[in-house]
Amino acid sequence: MDWAARFQKLKTNRVIGRFYGLGLLVVMAAFFFAIFKVLTPNNFGSPENLFFYLQSSIIYSVGACGLYFIVVMGLFDFSIGANVVLSSIVGVVFSKSFGYAGLVLGCILCGALIGFLNGFLYIKLNIPSMIVTVGLMLIYESAAYYVAGGVKQMLDPSLQMFGRSPGNILLSFAAFFLTNFIIKHTRIGTYCYAIGSNEYTAKNMGIRVDRQKLIGFVLCHVFVGIMAVLSVSYGTSMTATTGMASMIRNFTPLMGTFFGLTFRKYGTAVPAIIIGEFIIAIIFNGFVALGAPTTVQNIVTGAALLAIVAFTARPQKGAIAK
Amino acid sequence: MAQPILIAENVDKSFGITHAVKHVSLQFERGEIRGLIGENGSGKSTFCSMLCGIYHSDGGRFMLNGKEIRAHNQVDANRAGVSIIVQEMGTLSGLTVAENIFLGNEDRFIRLGVKNTPAMNREAQRLLDEYGFGHIKASLMIDHFHFEDRKLVEIVKATYFKPQVLIVDETTTALSQYGRDELYKIMNATRADNRTVIFISHDLNEVLQHTDHISVLRDGELIDTIPSQSATEDELKRLMVGRELGSRYYRTDYPDETKPLDMVLSVRGVSVPGQLQDVSFDLHRGEILGVGGLSECGMHELGKAVFGASYDRKGSVTLADGTAIRSIPDAIRHSIGYASKDRDNESIIVNDSICDNIVLPSANDLAENGVLMQRKLNRFAGEHADHMSVKMTGIGQFVSDLSGGNKQKVVVARWLGKASDILVLDSPTRGIDVKVKADIYSLMAELRAAGKSILMISEEIQELLGMCDRILIMKDGKINAEFIRSRELGEEDIIAKML
Repeated sequence: MDWAARFQKLKTNRVIGRFYGLGLLVVMAAFFFAIFKVLTPNNFGSPENLFFYLQSSIIYSVGACGLYFIVVMGLFDFSIGANVVLSSIVGVVFSKSFGYAGLVLGCILCGALIGFLNGFLYIKLNIPSMIVTVGLMLIYESAAYYVAGGVKQMLDPSLQMFGRSPGNILLSFAAFFLTNFIIKHTRIGTYCYAIGSNEYTAKNMGIRVDRQKLIGFVLCHVFVGIMAVLSVSYGTSMTATTGMASMIRNFTPLMGTFFGLTFRKYGTAVPAIIIGEFIIAIIFNGFVALGAPTTVQNIVTGAALLAIVAFTARPQKGAIAK
Repeated sequence: MAQPILIAENVDKSFGITHAVKHVSLQFERGEIRGLIGENGSGKSTFCSMLCGIYHSDGGRFMLNGKEIRAHNQVDANRAGVSIIVQEMGTLSGLTVAENIFLGNEDRFIRLGVKNTPAMNREAQRLLDEYGFGHIKASLMIDHFHFEDRKLVEIVKATYFKPQVLIVDETTTALSQYGRDELYKIMNATRADNRTVIFISHDLNEVLQHTDHISVLRDGELIDTIPSQSATEDELKRLMVGRELGSRYYRTDYPDETKPLDMVLSVRGVSVPGQLQDVSFDLHRGEILGVGGLSECGMHELGKAVFGASYDRKGSVTLADGTAIRSIPDAIRHSIGYASKDRDNESIIVNDSICDNIVLPSANDLAENGVLMQRKLNRFAGEHADHMSVKMTGIGQFVSDLSGGNKQKVVVARWLGKASDILVLDSPTRGIDVKVKADIYSLMAELRAAGKSILMISEEIQELLGMCDRILIMKDGKINAEFIRSRELGEEDIIAKML
């Protein structure tokens, strides 16, 4: 057996392969950290800074975990950002009467309802998920505007536990463990992968595909609801936006989901989402430390994402990517 | 007399204007292997798909052990006691082997919604070991395994719960001799256990050897059920097609060996990592050169390598004038056509019209000042589809609606339209009924007579013996033997060099 074959065997080994994926992610994080640390040693990369990057990245990681459930089935959702805005506002409104319970349950239940609506309409209208969710995004943005009464919704300072450590860390990691548990230890995870692999065969295996997709959408938006708790606690307020302005909030979670999909073959989807979002946070904050304009930041971040996914996915030669 | 295990009463199914199964009534006895044969589109797969809940019948019913079964999907059918192994890939990527085996039936491993993965893996591994497929690890992702191992996983999935009726739908074409032998063992064990197998195959010799009775369908109707022992291949062909196929099934000529032939393509030292090692041969004008061997011997990769479709290919493929073929565009530009074994994924665009499929490589030649005129394309595609006698409603019909044999005719029509002088045909009659097979063989002989050269890659020894001027036998990525066409050459000579 030549070296390439031995290396391939190691990579596909169930035990070692798991560490291979994690190892690769850690090396990448270290690589980007080292670059910015060399370029701007004083403004970047202190232990405090790293902890700050982690705290901001885990918010997106939670949303990415939710998005993973539907993207892995070959679906898409453009209403993530609108959900964050609407759920945050609903959570803040409820928190005024019910404290933490109102904040957490308000965000999560609102998220779940949005997920149910997205899934239900996608199934009943039988049109692509991307189109359904773009339409619904506009509706959710307007709903958020009405609920907020056109004014910024401030979260009471006594209810901002999930905006700082250890509250945010505990809630996020609870969400990560829950995602990992659902993917690996319940039939929901198995069925999501089966539908993503071949929906027709999955249906023939007795899987109720429509119901599973509905569950996927609900789960996705429950996690987006948790992301809303973290976002509004971290930012201390939320302003309703219209005219598709919430779209911008879709992309950072989506990048994390890409990391999860890419490293899924190593059995490390959730760690990949967390570390992937952390790498993106390193790059963003590295540029901020360098004082680079936003346009340059976006160009380099986009290029870095493409490079990371292209180099780590490494499909078999001739395999077709769509 | 014992009650039949399965009774189909007046079962009927239409797809739009196509009446696929016409009021078929059949009885299957306990402890028998029943062959179910017919041309492509004769209704045999539709019949079994209704039994398994893949399709719903328009009329009639199935009675299993005296009780009516109405399955809505395969898992329903499994629970009722019916199971199917399908022709295409039936396993799902992204899941482990164990998850694939128990997909839809995980309940026994789930407590309070939590899946006991180690227990599932253990049970799957126990089953794999019991079947003799211990080299497949239950905990690994199914994607780690090649097509045949995935088929073996499917066999375990379909049989581990000992179904009363097991349907094997055209599965053997995807298996090597080892896989086929394993499948036959399972079929025999099912029969010995007083359960029943419905065996669908286009390989009539295989059907005769491994069944007790054979039912023949034609155009959706049951033609007859006869005992396998007293049946002959010719009789089955007659029942399937409705007329004698005549003696021109294979070539009957044995040309003069000494006649010199012009070389048209030279393959020298071709290697592809892990697949081919230092393969060299020449292809001559008006020659059908066969390449055979076991499924994984490298012959399918050789077809790709000649067509310029292999990655990391070393060595050279050149035309008689020294022109090197390095890529697919090179090959097409120099009149080489290729039909892949994996017809649906690599040869045709399933969700497109017959017209578009045929004109695809010829689009540049047909363009007038860069503009494609639909009328011209239609005429071009129509001529070549008619030449190949493609059974269609029109050239606008989508290829997805065609049977396997007619899809293959579209592929060949495409390369004939491109006026290809060299055709690389990988498993040209795979999954194709006897009538279309006869058409394809007849066309190959016609092309050969017209001076075209054909590289025919096939896993069917009879086909190689019947059609080829020379046969190369491959083993472990190398050419292991070469045979010249002769009356004396037999299957045993070929097999001895394959193994």
